[in-house]
Amino acid sequence: MLRREHSDLLTQTGPDTPMGRMFRSYWIPALLAEELPENECPPVRVKLLSERLLAFRDTEGRYGLIDEFCAHRGVSLWFGRNEECGLRCPYHGWKYDVTGQCIEVPSEPEESGFREKIKLKSYPLVKRGNVLWTYMGPPEQQPPLPEWEFIMVPPKQTFATKRFQDCNWLQAMEGGIDSSHVSFLHRGDLNSDPLFKGAAGNRYNLSDSRPVFEVVESPGGLYIGARRNAEDGNYYWRITQWVMPSFTMIAPRGQHSVHGHFWIPIDDEHCWTWSYDYHPIRELTTRETAAMRAGRGIHVKYIPGTYQPLANKDNDYLMDRFAQKAGMTYSGVESIGIQDASLQESMGPIVDRTKENLVSTDNGIIMARHRLLKAVKALTDKGVVPPGVDPVHQRVRSAAVILPPDQPFKDGAREALIVRPEVAPASV
Amino acid sequence: MISQSALMNSAAEARFRLQQPNSKPRATKVIAMDVAGEEIVRRLAAEAWNGATFLTASALSHGSERRADGWLRDLEGRARDLIEEVNAADVVVMIATPGGRAGAAAFIGEACSHKRVMTTALISGAGTASDEALSLTLAQLRPWSLMVVVASVDDYIPDLLTALRA
Repeated sequence: MLRREHSDLLTQTGPDTPMGRMFRSYWIPALLAEELPENECPPVRVKLLSERLLAFRDTEGRYGLIDEFCAHRGVSLWFGRNEECGLRCPYHGWKYDVTGQCIEVPSEPEESGFREKIKLKSYPLVKRGNVLWTYMGPPEQQPPLPEWEFIMVPPKQTFATKRFQDCNWLQAMEGGIDSSHVSFLHRGDLNSDPLFKGAAGNRYNLSDSRPVFEVVESPGGLYIGARRNAEDGNYYWRITQWVMPSFTMIAPRGQHSVHGHFWIPIDDEHCWTWSYDYHPIRELTTRETAAMRAGRGIHVKYIPGTYQPLANKDNDYLMDRFAQKAGMTYSGVESIGIQDASLQESMGPIVDRTKENLVSTDNGIIMARHRLLKAVKALTDKGVVPPGVDPVHQRVRSAAVILPPDQPFKDGAREALIVRPEVAPASV
Repeated sequence: MISQSALMNSAAEARFRLQQPNSKPRATKVIAMDVAGEEIVRRLAAEAWNGATFLTASALSHGSERRADGWLRDLEGRARDLIEEVNAADVVVMIATPGGRAGAAAFIGEACSHKRVMTTALISGAGTASDEALSLTLAQLRPWSLMVVVASVDDYIPDLLTALRA
């Protein structure tokens, strides 16, 4: 269980909340680059950390993320005209640039200087990889740009998607570091999913469905190790990275691409679940990207033209009781991402953690909450920059390795757990 | 027609969740594996808990390696019977420190395994420990722990015990 005041502290991310200030310490993914595909393309409504914003790409390719509403009469600038290096409100023609600066007020004399007094709140929006990133904190504290490996490799080596999720970010993220659910909810996918099957290490998973977990603090968050018996008394380790506040990288399988997530609050009752796949040393194959686009692996199928999953709460996630009974899927819901989302959303918009009964295997979740609370307090009380802001904390990898039984995995897999350019991921 | 999930996942429907308790108090045994661990356990025991029991096996860790009676004690120094303690436990949390001898883990783990009681091992103070010291302790704890946590400092333990409703 978690005390209500602690749960409230971690789940509320609006402006002027402690956790909101912490999220505003990081560069966070705001949009896929495909959402603003060309100069002067239509603007996109963006809601992040309970703030209504508008993203657009101007005539010269500059990205902007500004207050959604015109300073004049409060009209949504989503209706605006993206033209000649600015976004023009269609109501009375006020025009803004990518910094939110008003650059034209047609009704006022140019010489009056009135337009210079009008400026919408704006945040930087920067393309790295296939993702547009924003930083919503104080400009004077803006950290270096993000350096997650999946956005630093060449474009053909990486693939990212996002999906709307109908619950608070924390319960979605906690699902991502809850390794013990995999043996139940996702059983079967290991053998059938083209993005997982065929790895040599899968035999350890299949022969031992009750791994022993080990949670170790890392500079940026946690290493979450799942240990199974291997040959000659050694252990097969699958080590997942969690980096604060909400990044995970799941241990790789064989030569498959590496994958993981970000969970970013839209508001306190909704979040974006970002999913990425990449390979550090090779291009993704046509077959792999086709599988990802088809919703395999950790990706999902969409309602066309949206980032809303095709299987969602409005259609009961396409629950198939026959498949559940026949063992084709464990929960009756298809696809790993939707299996997770269906259960996390069923908890309600913000789960009541005072009623939960955690057990030993939930230590990853307990430790993550502990670290988040500690970081929030340090930021609030002393202005300490939270873990995960420093790009060094971002240059990490997950790993699947075989180690002697007495070796700490953070020691035995030390090199495997950091980015090494041109070196393949440590995987079995 | 609106789906069941769309209707029931809403904040409005969350108001109708049953408010009765959904669990009974559980018995948590917190056992120090070494002298440094005992200091941590003594500090923890001074706080208010929901019936958690605090014990120490440090006598075995820095004394004889041979199994002997009387190595499991409460914090007043009274001998406690391992089997009785395990029989009454829902979960056993072993508190160790890097480089500490955690020889009691084998006896505790064996008893817990026999009674199918969950074991968690927590190594505290790993932030400044050498890999060798950590290896020494891990080697003793891993075979007998179904969950291992390596924490940099001991401020995690109260959060862990609270989360487990200890």
